[in-house]
Amino acid sequence: MKHLTEEELIEHGYGEGDKVLIEEHFAVCRECEKAFSAVQADLAEMKFPLPPSRSHDYGEAVWQSLRNQLPAYDAPKRSWLNGGLFRGLSYAAVCALLLACAFAGGRLWERRQAKISATNHPTLPQPVGATEHATPRVVVVVLSDHLDRSERLLVELKHVDAHSTEMVSPLRDEARNLLPANRICRQKAKQDDDPALTGALDHLDRLLAELANEPGGLNSATISRLQDEMNKDGLLFEVRVLRSRIPHAQGTGADSSKGGTI
Amino acid sequence: MVRMDKNDHAAIQAVLSGDKDAYGALVQRHSQSLFRVAFRITGNEADADDVVQDAFLRGYLKLETFESRANFGTWIYRIAVRCALDKISSINRMNDRMRVGSDTDPEQDEIQVADETAGPDRLLLSGEIAAMQRDAMFSLTPTEQSAFVLRHMEGRTTEEIGDALGIASNAAKQAVFRAVQKLRRRLSTLKGESMARSSSLRVRL
Repeated sequence: MKHLTEEELIEHGYGEGDKVLIEEHFAVCRECEKAFSAVQADLAEMKFPLPPSRSHDYGEAVWQSLRNQLPAYDAPKRSWLNGGLFRGLSYAAVCALLLACAFAGGRLWERRQAKISATNHPTLPQPVGATEHATPRVVVVVLSDHLDRSERLLVELKHVDAHSTEMVSPLRDEARNLLPANRICRQKAKQDDDPALTGALDHLDRLLAELANEPGGLNSATISRLQDEMNKDGLLFEVRVLRSRIPHAQGTGADSSKGGTI
Repeated sequence: MVRMDKNDHAAIQAVLSGDKDAYGALVQRHSQSLFRVAFRITGNEADADDVVQDAFLRGYLKLETFESRANFGTWIYRIAVRCALDKISSINRMNDRMRVGSDTDPEQDEIQVADETAGPDRLLLSGEIAAMQRDAMFSLTPTEQSAFVLRHMEGRTTEEIGDALGIASNAAKQAVFRAVQKLRRRLSTLKGESMARSSSLRVRL
């Protein structure tokens, strides 16, 4: 049988080690049990005097003796890297995130509003690119507006006194304004394969071009000639007919302005 | 065991923020327990007082390294144990130098030590066993002495002793074992001598 070492006995005496195993060994080994009793007796005999008590103000006395030797710690300074820069970057990141959210929210809101608007007013123009059907509707509004203005111009041209120079300049300016829009509308009409509209806009284009770009300026002879041509071709009537064909010709100002941005 | 509360953390933060006087509260709260362990290791009141002051001074200077999640009481206790260890090591070295300086004869040296510890008449006095034990303690190395004090008197576990002394648990266990073994041998011898001298005195009387 292997006996317990003195180290194991001392360890056991201090309540450490494998207690169960050692107790089992003592049950079968009287020698080890006796040795352990001796260890216990020696440990119990090792009594040392208690430390002398210290008064309640001992701590204060220690502190007073130390106080003057201790340098004060500097208050922690905010590190530029740890504090300022990091905080600044954090703010910047948060601001950027907020901006991104606001932008995305705006885009979503605009699309949602367009859908609602389309649902409630199917014939109203949609924002550019919102749907595939949006572009024709926009052109319709521009066309109706354009035909309105063209009709007014033709009416003025029809009734203008050929010898009066007062109305010449406004007529020319209005013709110059209408000419680019007329070309867009004509191009669109051609794409849509609308011969009646295309023909009318062709006539109108020639008339507007002459009004706008007459080399010698508008004189009574030119105005008379144009009046004759207009009456002969029935251009004013044709424009009125076309205008009546277009639904919602009296579109809202907002719609018209949208169409005009194309 | 010294308990750690929120006040310790608050005081430490205040000290590190420049309020030196906040350390006074920590000193007052923990000085008694530090004195107790310092006295047990050094065996001397004056040395124990020195150890307490030294421990708090070292603690203050190293306070920036104190981890906020740790227990200040445990931390300063560990510093005090090491201060005490340093103290008894330096005392032992000084004693060795004095002994070598005064007399290099080892036999003479042994006689001097015996004279310091016990004489036939003193051994008859009550409480002489305690003196023998104290003297036996000084035959231990500083590490053994500290480990024994922490185990036998302070009731610390092997892990705590290793932690306090900055050594491995197994080394702490060995230190305790060697200390107890040496004390048992030494006390056994001293008790034998004491009994023999007492018998001879009785015969003479």
